[in-house]
Amino acid sequence: MKFTHAATVAAPRDKVWARLMDIPAAARCVPGVASVRPSGTDKYQGTLAVQVGPVRLVLDGDLVVTARDPSSGTASIRADAKDSRVGGAIRAAMDLALSEKEGQTELRIATDLAVMGRLGEFGQAVIKRKADQLMQDFAECLARQVIAR
Amino acid sequence: MTFDYHEPRSLAEALDLLGRHGDDAHLLAGGTATVILMRQGLLRPGHVVALRAVAELGGVSRTADGGLRIGAMATHRQVERSADALAYSPALVDAFASVATVRIRNQATVGGNLAHADPAQDPPPMLAALGATVTVRSPRGERTLPVDGLAVDHFTTSLAHDEVITEVLLPPIEPGTREAYLKFLPRTADDYATVSVAATMRLADDGTIAHARIVLGAVGPTPIRARRVEDAIRGQPTRRIGDAIAMIADDVDPVDDLRGSAVYKREMARVWTGRALAQLTR
Repeated sequence: MKFTHAATVAAPRDKVWARLMDIPAAARCVPGVASVRPSGTDKYQGTLAVQVGPVRLVLDGDLVVTARDPSSGTASIRADAKDSRVGGAIRAAMDLALSEKEGQTELRIATDLAVMGRLGEFGQAVIKRKADQLMQDFAECLARQVIAR
Repeated sequence: MTFDYHEPRSLAEALDLLGRHGDDAHLLAGGTATVILMRQGLLRPGHVVALRAVAELGGVSRTADGGLRIGAMATHRQVERSADALAYSPALVDAFASVATVRIRNQATVGGNLAHADPAQDPPPMLAALGATVTVRSPRGERTLPVDGLAVDHFTTSLAHDEVITEVLLPPIEPGTREAYLKFLPRTADDYATVSVAATMRLADDGTIAHARIVLGAVGPTPIRARRVEDAIRGQPTRRIGDAIAMIADDVDPVDDLRGSAVYKREMARVWTGRALAQLTR
């Protein structure tokens, strides 16, 4: 499943970049993220709680920054997480790109998401909608954080 | 998976159990959705509160004002076969008869269906198009809210955890009003819709559209009310319908799946809305 999200931040690119690359702080912008701790160089461990109607998921997993290029304002992140109670996992590859235009920065996030196991029972429509909500909230929260600093 | 199964005999007892067990309790109506979620391991309540023995939640009957009352635990099949429901609105009966198979309709309940908030279900758009409300009880008392807007997202309603739908009330239908429920099923007869359209319409004496309400199913995270189309055609002659329904494409929010691509569903939403309205103006 592939999707793209975008948000505009009224701040220069280097400021947005600095915020985005502070992964534990940036991750707190994803609704439902309980904790994100460094677990190695460019590696983090964290938990994401998601509610879909009556179903509560707790996704536990790792996040790895696989590439980052401050000069072009691009980065790639891989996330692997599973819910051991329900029995299912997700794998996401995200490409982040920042571009500046007239003092504003556009953040684009292209995500390729794979959903495995029982989580797949939700169906694509629900998963896509949930991912849309999470990413949109994330982008908007990040924009607010950058402006507030 | 283990859980405690409760079968209260009254609504008061059911509310007490919900209050006592909080988030760990899950209501069971007909079970056609809940049992599947539990078998898949997606739902793991510690306490299941079954409503089957709560007699006050049953029944399908006309109300004194000429409307219809459907108890929350009435099955789809009971509505489908109810003479009172048929006398109230044949289109309402069509919507309930469109759900899955007879075996499921014998089990699935009207209140359970609304609480499950599956956007591809047949009854909610028709109930919303008819202006239905639900009565909801909780330890804090009773409140009434429209079916239109009850679902707020996929499988999510605006109801609090300790609220129970007790009945669906349909208002009297103004004389001259016509209703239709159309379901586009390109695959099998028991499938979910690619798009479904529930509509009610009344023409004035001069032939213009005095009332129109259009609600679509299966093309968004909730049933979608086509308010802009309704506003555009109200007070207008019926020949304006063709242009107005083009706006449907922007109101719906479908996704690609086995029942069609998002692009196709957008177009089918327009086509099937046109067919429903044509049926009402013929």
